[in-house]
Amino acid sequence: MNGFDDGGDEEDMGLEEALRHAAALFDPVPSDLVQTAVEAYTLRTMDAELAALTFDSLAEPAPVRGGDEPRLATFHALGVTIDVEVTVMGTTGRVLGQVIPARPGEIEVRGRRPATVTVTADAMGRFVCERVPTGPFSLRCRFASVVMVTEWIII
Amino acid sequence: MSPEGFAHRTMMIPAPRDVAVDRDSIGSIFLSAADGDAAAWKALVEGLAPLVWSVVRAHGLSDADGHEVFQTTWLRLAQHLRRIREPEKVGSWLASTARHECLKVIQASRRVSPVGDPEVFDRAADQWTPEEALIRSEEADARADQVRQLWQAFEQLSEACRRLLRVLMASPRPHYHEVSAALGIPVGGIGPTRQRCLRRLRTLMERGAP
Repeated sequence: MNGFDDGGDEEDMGLEEALRHAAALFDPVPSDLVQTAVEAYTLRTMDAELAALTFDSLAEPAPVRGGDEPRLATFHALGVTIDVEVTVMGTTGRVLGQVIPARPGEIEVRGRRPATVTVTADAMGRFVCERVPTGPFSLRCRFASVVMVTEWIII
Repeated sequence: MSPEGFAHRTMMIPAPRDVAVDRDSIGSIFLSAADGDAAAWKALVEGLAPLVWSVVRAHGLSDADGHEVFQTTWLRLAQHLRRIREPEKVGSWLASTARHECLKVIQASRRVSPVGDPEVFDRAADQWTPEEALIRSEEADARADQVRQLWQAFEQLSEACRRLLRVLMASPRPHYHEVSAALGIPVGGIGPTRQRCLRRLRTLMERGAP
């Protein structure tokens, strides 16, 4: 009665198997979703440095809901930090970004939209992305010295 | 064609589906995917998609939110292909990632319906999957009723039981370390809770659907 084969008696295993069958009928993985997962492979990180999500205000305990406070997220790689502040209104969001240490760059917004959108980080390292569709979101940041992609989050 | 040539060609053919879901080979399939083998990635997705979906459902997310978590979980894995240290535990990695994304979605919005969205259940007949349609069309009506009654009984369970059983009923059956990662519970608690929940489910079944 331990580990993977902790199925209890046969009766329990039979009932669990019947549930598995029922789930496959009543709540299967939508096939179009499987396709999106297959396609995720083409977006894998190949030539860019992965900037890991090191802070996310949504992952912090929030005993009291603060209303409409924007979400803050921080990504980091190779001594470069990218802070974003996300405000969602309806089906789109506004993303304010800051690159630290400050540097200019091309920021490509990846997510659910027909075409990728590119914005520019100014000399102070600031950038703004408007009308970003809610859903999976990642930035591909092209700086003079390095290309970084941020870990996918959902906005 | 020479036997050698044939053998070489055979190796180029992507793994068939039944190999894809063989959990013991998940680690090597993952390594192939990390190495650039798109067919291995597809096999990985097909083998572990039901687990990720079950984690989403266990957290009671709406369809729209659930789709986003599912998609983002796989996008994340694609980003981490070369960073995962224990390839054979990729199922746990996915389950844990999906769980954390679910919790964020729940934190961000309270538009959460309980596990077992009634929609799933009350779809019109023309929206049934081919498997469902088959079950309904054949003389197996009695059997279909049984499955439906089981699902109804499942939906009457406590939230804790529905969560656990929804993950356990992923196909193929998840390892307990995956269930643990999916729900943030210790492995040791899974067996006893499962037993209690299945007993409760049996009682509900015996009592009959309302």
